Amino acid sequence: MRAVLSGITVRFGDLVAVNNVSLTIEPGEIHAVVGENGAGKTTLMNALFGLVQPEAGKILLDGNERHWASPQEAIAAGLGMVHQHFMLQDSMTVLENIVLTAEPVGRLGFVDFARARRLLTARAKAHGITLPLDRRVDSLSVGEKQVVEILKLLYRDSRLLILDEPTSVLTPREKERLFGVLKSFRDEGRAVVLITHKLDEVMESADRVSVMRGGHLVSSGPLSATSREEIARQIVGGGLPAPRQRTARVAGDTVLSVERLEVAGRGRTVGPLSFSVRAGEIVGIAGVSGNGQAELIAALTGLRRPLSGSISLLGRPIEALDVEARRRAGMSYIPEDRQRVGLALAASISENANAGRDDRTAFTRGAFLDRKAMARFARMLIERYRIRAAGPSVPAATLSGGNKQKLVVGRELERGTPLIIAENPTWGVDIGAIDFIHGELLRLRGEGHALLLVSSELDEILALSDRILVMFDGRFAGEVSGAEADPERIGSMMTSGAAELLPEVA
Amino acid sequence: MRKHIYRTLLAGDLLSWLGVAGAILAVILVLMLMVGAPVGEALQGFWSGAFGGRRYAYLMTTLSRAAIIIGMAVSVLLSFRAGLFNIGGEGQLVAGGLVAALTAILLPGPPLLVLAVSVLAAMLAGALWALLAGVLQLYVGVPLLVGSLLLNYPARYIASYLVAHPFRDVPSGMLQSHLVPQETWLPYFPGTRLDIGILFIAAASIFAVIYSHATLHGYHARLNGLSPDFARAVGLPVKKLALQTLAMSGAIAGLVGAIAVFGIHHRYIDGMLVQPLYAWTGIIAVLLVGMIPWAVPLSGFFFAAVETGAAGMERAAAVPKEIALVIQAVIILFVASRVSGALSVSAERKGADDA
Repeated sequence: MRAVLSGITVRFGDLVAVNNVSLTIEPGEIHAVVGENGAGKTTLMNALFGLVQPEAGKILLDGNERHWASPQEAIAAGLGMVHQHFMLQDSMTVLENIVLTAEPVGRLGFVDFARARRLLTARAKAHGITLPLDRRVDSLSVGEKQVVEILKLLYRDSRLLILDEPTSVLTPREKERLFGVLKSFRDEGRAVVLITHKLDEVMESADRVSVMRGGHLVSSGPLSATSREEIARQIVGGGLPAPRQRTARVAGDTVLSVERLEVAGRGRTVGPLSFSVRAGEIVGIAGVSGNGQAELIAALTGLRRPLSGSISLLGRPIEALDVEARRRAGMSYIPEDRQRVGLALAASISENANAGRDDRTAFTRGAFLDRKAMARFARMLIERYRIRAAGPSVPAATLSGGNKQKLVVGRELERGTPLIIAENPTWGVDIGAIDFIHGELLRLRGEGHALLLVSSELDEILALSDRILVMFDGRFAGEVSGAEADPERIGSMMTSGAAELLPEVA
Repeated sequence: MRKHIYRTLLAGDLLSWLGVAGAILAVILVLMLMVGAPVGEALQGFWSGAFGGRRYAYLMTTLSRAAIIIGMAVSVLLSFRAGLFNIGGEGQLVAGGLVAALTAILLPGPPLLVLAVSVLAAMLAGALWALLAGVLQLYVGVPLLVGSLLLNYPARYIASYLVAHPFRDVPSGMLQSHLVPQETWLPYFPGTRLDIGILFIAAASIFAVIYSHATLHGYHARLNGLSPDFARAVGLPVKKLALQTLAMSGAIAGLVGAIAVFGIHHRYIDGMLVQPLYAWTGIIAVLLVGMIPWAVPLSGFFFAAVETGAAGMERAAAVPKEIALVIQAVIILFVASRVSGALSVSAERKGADDA
């Protein structure tokens, strides 16, 4: 199926998310759409898929102009989309999820699961995919869930598949297999659109690449006609920041020490975990998300009571302390979920910036708030952490993702505590903000703070960590020194069973 | 667009007020045409019933009623802004009223001291009743919404029992306590039948505005209300905040109960705080203005005026008083749609980041 987008414009209020973009998606090609967060890639594809209504422009499928009232119409026309956040019913089986809304109905009105199973097995086999169809979705790993999403499209025989950031939750091995499957789809004549901001993936798998920036299409053409550097320049719209150089540094005294910590997780116990973080070092915890990292962090920060084990900060046992006392003892925390945990979105920037401050007397007079001092502090954060904001009194929700994250990072780092726990600190933010946040983390390392970095981005772990602990299934699968870290080896340590589901095509 | 969302979420903007007024007017007109009442007279009756009367007697009635509703609204406001769905205002109000009356009846001493002690005891009783709901939530796991609601019933029936049996004013033949000593009654404003209880409510309203906007505790409570996960992660003492806020909320409800006793009824009459639905009207009044502290008194006054105005309409044009109930129901519907609309907008916004 050939899809032609012509002059598409999408507006959200005052914001022009997609500005007059024209693009052709050819059958039998993997078409990568790249750009920073907020560049409009997902919105453009949502318009193609009928999730948002473009204000202007035309969509042509095989030469016929089409209008979608809803995604259902787009699906019926042969389009399929795997969203960044999976759309699965956890309490249903894989098969039930796949046939949902496209159930084959038997003569008596019952769902003909046997027919669905036959069809699905045949199609999956053609691409070398295996997956237990009768398992409940909530028992699957993230990588396996992704396979379910892809099978959904295959079951509906989508001729044009859109995948939005499909690899952010996969191990390197799972990634390889995913791309193998996508190439096999392509070879069958299907069109595949890959929305991503990872250049490696583009260089490795795409046939054609379109770059978006600020809602505009910067370029679109065959991969062979461009280069990695060219694409990178087009993405950021100018020169690239130089890669960060970590200076060698001898770590100091132990700041955080964890002994045989066990935490209750979903359906299993996480741990026992033992490790330590010393002053002036960044310890990275690598792993596919959902392998116990969240539970570990919750236990360290005091958000969840551990089952057993001890945690000490600067030699002082803290496992019995509450969150506030732990923070006062010298801990800061950059949570992964800035929307719910990192910020109170409806509150102003100033109110967010001053929450959890230790020096309460600096912004209070007795029981009363000193709003001016609060605003001063917020303005200082806005300036120092280069947050693009209209001012300290606007709601935090008005900030873009990257600026929200900078606000969280700024508030926590400004406390200058001996220990900093950062949980996916650059999740979903653009290259500029990533570079800035990484720089800040390294600066604090240089100043002798101890940093615990949990990230599902292996690149981020590799770029920043002095030591790397790999987490799998609630335990540490191994420890690697940052200097001699080998992505392949770490990847194999964090590999889950999901890697076996997709075939080895490469 | 974002700005607009905030306006609709946080403030009672002009449009929605016009909407309320329009809806009410339309409903009144339709109902009156149905019962065949003279429209002009009825509206006139509504107006004078709410704001007129000889020497503004009806306006004073409206104000007196508004005081109680606003007091309950302020009590609810403090809880709601902190994210605590304390809908047990009625129980806290009854606890306050009952304790106020009994203390004043049983405690000997100079009247002013008796009054002061009774009011404080009422506030304490209200606070404890609210705290009970909080403790049930935090330590037993009964959701506050359920616990606070269910605690209304024991409060109500304990009060009924006490004034029906041990403390009943038997000669009066009614289910009510004895009168509190006349010297403890709140005085009227000169030349009116409006007691000075409304001053306490005004003070409570001012306190609520200052507390919400200018105090550290109010700031922390609001952050907890906006996002409990956030409040926990930045180390706010969320349990303590919740209990303190509930205690404050209950104390104000208790104060309102005491004012109803010393200012209006001068005794505890069975059902006097339950039947007029003060607590529930207070909740609606708070929701109508989107929990904006300074607007709560206006909203409470508005509801009081609807009720007294309807009574005036009945007197003047024989339009049944039940019309007022219909009007209130229309307003509740309006509020419900507004609140759910705001909620769906905020849910949408949650997904909108980083798209």
